Amino acid sequence: MMQTTDWRAGLGLRKAGIYYALLILLALLAGIAHSRGLPAYLSAQNLGNIAYQASLVGIMGVAMTVMLITGAFDLSVASVAALAAAVLVGLAPSIGFPLAALAAIVTAVSVGLFNGVIVQFVGINAFIVTLGTLTAVRGLVLVLTDGRSLMVEQPEVLQQMLAFESTRVPLFWPLLALAAALLAFAGFRRRIAPGLSGIVLAGLALLAGQGFAVAAPVVYLALFTALVWAVLRFTVVGRRIYAVGGNAEAARLSGVNVHAYKLGAFILSSAAAGFAGVLFGCRLGAINPTALQGAELTVIASAILGGTSLFGGAGSVLKTVAGALLLFTLTNGFNVLDLGASYQGLIEGVVVIAAAAIYTVGGDRRRKAVAQ
Amino acid sequence: MVVAPLLGLAGVEKVWPNGTAALRGVDLTLHAGRVHGLLGANGAGKSTLIKVLAGAIPASGGTVAWRGEPVRWASPRSARAAGVATIYQHIPLVPTLSVVENMLLERAGGWRADRAGRARAEEVASLLDNPFDLDALVGDLPIGTRQMVAIAQGLMADPALLIMDEPTASLAEHERERVYAVVRLLAAQGHAVLFVSHFLDEILSLTDEVTVLRDGRAVLHAQTADLDEAAIAAAIAGRSVAALERRPRAERLPLNPPPEGEGDRRQRRWWRGSAPQASSPVENTRPPACGWPPSLSGEGLVLELRDLASPGRLAPTSLTVAAGEIVGIAGMLGSGRSELLHAIFGADPAARGAVLLHGKPVGRTPEDAVAAGIALVPEDRATQGFVAGMSVAENIALPRTGLFQSPGQEREAALAAIERLAIKVQGPDAPVGELSGGNAQKVVIAKWLTPDTRLLLLDEPTAGIDIGARTDILRLIRALADEGLAALLVSSEFEELIGICDRILVMRDGLVIAEVDPETTDEAALIQRASGNFPSTGMAA
Repeated sequence: MMQTTDWRAGLGLRKAGIYYALLILLALLAGIAHSRGLPAYLSAQNLGNIAYQASLVGIMGVAMTVMLITGAFDLSVASVAALAAAVLVGLAPSIGFPLAALAAIVTAVSVGLFNGVIVQFVGINAFIVTLGTLTAVRGLVLVLTDGRSLMVEQPEVLQQMLAFESTRVPLFWPLLALAAALLAFAGFRRRIAPGLSGIVLAGLALLAGQGFAVAAPVVYLALFTALVWAVLRFTVVGRRIYAVGGNAEAARLSGVNVHAYKLGAFILSSAAAGFAGVLFGCRLGAINPTALQGAELTVIASAILGGTSLFGGAGSVLKTVAGALLLFTLTNGFNVLDLGASYQGLIEGVVVIAAAAIYTVGGDRRRKAVAQ
Repeated sequence: MVVAPLLGLAGVEKVWPNGTAALRGVDLTLHAGRVHGLLGANGAGKSTLIKVLAGAIPASGGTVAWRGEPVRWASPRSARAAGVATIYQHIPLVPTLSVVENMLLERAGGWRADRAGRARAEEVASLLDNPFDLDALVGDLPIGTRQMVAIAQGLMADPALLIMDEPTASLAEHERERVYAVVRLLAAQGHAVLFVSHFLDEILSLTDEVTVLRDGRAVLHAQTADLDEAAIAAAIAGRSVAALERRPRAERLPLNPPPEGEGDRRQRRWWRGSAPQASSPVENTRPPACGWPPSLSGEGLVLELRDLASPGRLAPTSLTVAAGEIVGIAGMLGSGRSELLHAIFGADPAARGAVLLHGKPVGRTPEDAVAAGIALVPEDRATQGFVAGMSVAENIALPRTGLFQSPGQEREAALAAIERLAIKVQGPDAPVGELSGGNAQKVVIAKWLTPDTRLLLLDEPTAGIDIGARTDILRLIRALADEGLAALLVSSEFEELIGICDRILVMRDGLVIAEVDPETTDEAALIQRASGNFPSTGMAA
């Protein structure tokens, strides 16, 4: 939250462990690919693929992180995303893509508003309320689709949707420019962290080569993450989000409108889910009623991998995105290297528990030191 | 007559893994049938010593002898088995269980309904004069009663040594008396009691011996009969503490303020030399110094309540507070004093009536109150006052509005607060959760020291704070009022109210029953008025 004066602590296992884990996993998979004589694993193409596969979960994960920081919980995101996709695919043929996308997101937001109002003003636990909407909204998707797959048949509408989702965005020069800006800032203000990220970005761009391009959802994820990160890091709203989760009563008695922040988190979470649903619908121009089933657990797992506390008051959206990337790198690695898909779930589960254990053990030691 | 001590500590040390030494060689001897007082400022090592005695943490050095045998308790369980019961300050009870089940928590056995256990619980409860219903849910009980439950829980196993960590800190006067009676009774029955407290008067009247800790060492060990308050206070502070003496009003509020007094007052404020605001209603509005009570008309009026009421908590209350005035509220626990502050602050949604600040109505939410310039320092620091995981600077910046954080300014404000309030902390980036009670409270107060604050509501700002920090905080409140703030101060320490307030309102059963002039009253008279002839369990219950 605050800038760490001791930047070495920022590079410790607890603070930066998720980044190390991601790098080690990539190196491991690259080594296996090399020893088996498969095509290079760390190609720009494959890395872009991983980011593309992680983008929907990443977008929902960033909003989920804000949710968890305020001390609440949202299990309904995957169902809401599916509902948004269904609304989009169902309406796009008649009212066109932009309006249908808007309708999809408005629908999603209204579910979030419903969740938030029930949790905040009726006072039911968020876990229970969103477990209810998880089931009910999935049921609504079944009702709307009549249990069948929906498709967009009009070629011009389909074209618009594909353009929104599948356009490849060249990133070589933007990445270099961003790296240069970060380095300049780091030099000017004598800060370590932006300098390091600038070097990493520049290295990535140079490794990937001039033709480096990614699918649009990766850019949406990057922009959304950067926006939320900046709000949390630099604005008073951000500090108040942490305060609401850290000690709601202290925040309230400091003049913070706790209800508004908690309600806002539900709305953000559902809006992000709605946007992810729009992207999902555009990917195929079609939706089947079981789409994205179970994805809410991957979203929450990403946040936990990133060290977000389920008790509120702590969390980082950058690490959540790293967590999502780690989970999808595992999936991608198992597929590309053909390591046996049956082991995948087992290993993912173990990774999540191991990460939580590292955070908890490290956190406990600190808490004990504080208590005594 | 040589009596083997029940417990003997020799050179006990505790060094934390990070190298901090909490105890640097403490000797302590406890005898059966004696009450031993343990005192020390926050951070002197009291809590650590208690944890070592309770077996909660191992000592790093020195020896502990129990009934003459060297022991090394590995867990609270083994200490309890040996006969040491510890009652912690932050009462560790299960709120969702009944009183009797909390008392039986430690009991072994298979069945939840335990007739022998219940009989023992009834026995202990009658020893304590039945302060609670055994079948009441602990979560429904007021904090004073919970403290009695915790004491009862500690007595269940009939311990040879009872350690009480500030058992009276959260209690009202009549509840304290009950605790004192129990302590005396236990000592008479041959139990040893280690009584930890901030209150010098109760240490003097209750204990047989006293040990004072400072910086992890026992700096004073004496028979209570040989001591007086000044000697103990000096040992705690390590310097002679200027006792909080009431200055005559004429001295505090000069008839003709010094020339630089009014106009430059704001300029001298600590935060960052904010320019004097000529238009500010707080300027030049000191109540006439000689005409007491202050004239309540005109611009000097900061706060006005018109029939502010909350069903079941607060009877319709009308009062006024002028700029530069500290109005004390004397009342027992549950008298409606906190409820009054919460109602003014808009933190009580059920409250009705009008709150006017500088003649303008204030909205009925905490956000509106803060925006209008009302600040609340709540009763319970840890759960209402600060965000433990956030830094000092972030906590102080919490009421800030606007769009962007400004780390530079916030750091500067935090540094200024650390200096002005003498907050003992490594720097503005240290988490508030790591601070001792007094320093954390200073952070909570510092949060509100902005140029926008017009009215300070202080709810027990000195509860559980050592004598040095307490004096600091009271002096600060007086100084802020002298700079033109209006303040409402709730305190269970009536001597504090008498020491710094301009007027004192006495509350009982959710009602303001009297207004007294602190210069013509004393503590005993206030206690009498506030507690009345019968326990106050009226509409506030």
